[in-house]
Amino acid sequence: MAQVLQALVTGLLTGSVYALLGAGFSLIWGVAHVINIVHPALAVGAAYAVYLLAARGVDPLASLAVVVPLFFLLGVGFYEGVIRPAARRGGDLVLVSMVLTFGLAAALENVLAAVWGPGPRVVNVAYTGRAVQLGVLALPITHLAGAGLATVTIAALYLFLHKTFPGKAVRAVWQNPEGAALCAINLRQVTSLTYGLAIASAGVAGVALALIYSFSPASHLMWLVFVFLVVIVGGVGSLVGVVVAGMLVGALTNLSTLVIPFAWAPFFLFASLGVLLLLRPTGLFRR
Amino acid sequence: MSRAVAAGLAVVLLIFPWVGTGEYPLALLYSTFMYVALAVAWNVIGGFAGYLSFGHAAFFGLGGYTTGFFLVRAGLSPFLTAPLGAAVAAAFAALAGYPCLRLRGPYFAVVTMILGLAVRAVVLNLPWTGAAEGLWMTLPPWEPIVARRAFYYAMLAVALVTVLAGRAVRLGKIGVGLEAIREDEEAAQSIGVPVVRLKMSALILSAGLTGLAGGIYAYDRSYIHPDFMFDLHLSVLAVLMALLGGRQSWAGPILGAVVVRLVDEALTVRVGTEAARIIFGLGLALVIVLLPDGVLPYLERLRWRAPRPPAAVPAAQARP
Repeated sequence: MAQVLQALVTGLLTGSVYALLGAGFSLIWGVAHVINIVHPALAVGAAYAVYLLAARGVDPLASLAVVVPLFFLLGVGFYEGVIRPAARRGGDLVLVSMVLTFGLAAALENVLAAVWGPGPRVVNVAYTGRAVQLGVLALPITHLAGAGLATVTIAALYLFLHKTFPGKAVRAVWQNPEGAALCAINLRQVTSLTYGLAIASAGVAGVALALIYSFSPASHLMWLVFVFLVVIVGGVGSLVGVVVAGMLVGALTNLSTLVIPFAWAPFFLFASLGVLLLLRPTGLFRR
Repeated sequence: MSRAVAAGLAVVLLIFPWVGTGEYPLALLYSTFMYVALAVAWNVIGGFAGYLSFGHAAFFGLGGYTTGFFLVRAGLSPFLTAPLGAAVAAAFAALAGYPCLRLRGPYFAVVTMILGLAVRAVVLNLPWTGAAEGLWMTLPPWEPIVARRAFYYAMLAVALVTVLAGRAVRLGKIGVGLEAIREDEEAAQSIGVPVVRLKMSALILSAGLTGLAGGIYAYDRSYIHPDFMFDLHLSVLAVLMALLGGRQSWAGPILGAVVVRLVDEALTVRVGTEAARIIFGLGLALVIVLLPDGVLPYLERLRWRAPRPPAAVPAAQARP
């Protein structure tokens, strides 16, 4: 029983980080209709930034002060410099954006590999390997810090989207771009802002993942799978759905390793996705 | 005219291995044939039907792994295992394709991409596929040039079969149905186009042809590993080649495949794999931004723009 509880809680903790990564991805998908394959690769980039700073004695949490503004600007620049010109040329935006952002992800992966080599890296901090004992549960501090970071960021994102005017503008564009434009909402500004926020959240997710996992230039592919799973299960267009799906995927991945042999865990995960698609092709929470 | 060109090209390609060029040009053409097969096969579902699959590496890898499995475990001849690989890939497409094809647009694209990564993850973890160690096959004790010739002809045959199949689909009744699905699926269904059957057939055919290429490729490499048999890069490459050449025609992807293969090879030879992938990734992004509809429609537009005088049709007549 303790084992199940332990797996469940660690699954939920890592699931919250998947949810954060999925939230930014889903924001870009919803608002700009772009499948941002480079999203998890940017998170890996942030993880390497943390690694670089940690080697100089900067705590991962403190490195957020650099990562968040940098990634916000990166997101705005990415939209204005790359996505917008591509979208204005016409063509099938799904196809164009997927191939385009895949190209950027492959380039980024290989830049990271050229600088740091293809092997995995670990961020070591003072509290790595230490755990908080909570009854029968042993919770690693790094997991708690990562999940805490994810929770705070998702909560901030939620409050921004629901309580502030620019946030409501983002949701308006998400639901109906023409209607929003008719209400004098500047689509370009709102989309720019969305990209900034989404990429900044990818940066935070990268910091959180660097705390929890080891990472290599190619790790973004695995994270991409989780992002996709979260967004497909949760549905595009619902932050709450993404959060629930993230927790679900995290918990399910962890719990499944208790019941079935480790080798079959991915098979189980994807087979359940197939069944879900048969029953509810548009995800659990799609409106 | 074009028939004569095709016949001439076929003769040149058939004779080419015997003109004494050495192994490298044969290897280069062999991989070009493979890319042609992948691009044309992808286009059957991605271009004709408009269902953008980003998971074709799954079919390619399944074809390759089936070949490896039966070769190593059952000692079957590779001439049998490659079609067997095609059959397994097609069967998998029939099974996994049904839930996937219920989705449209970005959802289909994303779910097929998951599918590709999922099959990789599963194969990487199962012991009887060699898992993370990969699978070794023993090639017959051929001389290098003999082996190159054999694989050259094998892949040429695969490319030819694929191109002919793609052409037959595009020009036949199925192609019309698939085009109707691409333009407006509800409307197609409402006038009696068997939408599900056509989509499934297109996907199964596309997957089978991709698996066939994978089977030959695996045998040639004689060592297979999920990292390159189920490489996401391969899935995107198939999309890119079809996109570059133009997705509406059966011949467009051939052009795209040849261009992509030659650029890829030139880059790899000149700057090494890692830098090549960086330049390739960025170049890919740039090309997509500049030519979202591919090269062929762009060239056609240029051709049409030149001879037409601007005021040839009076405005009043042009109105329907």
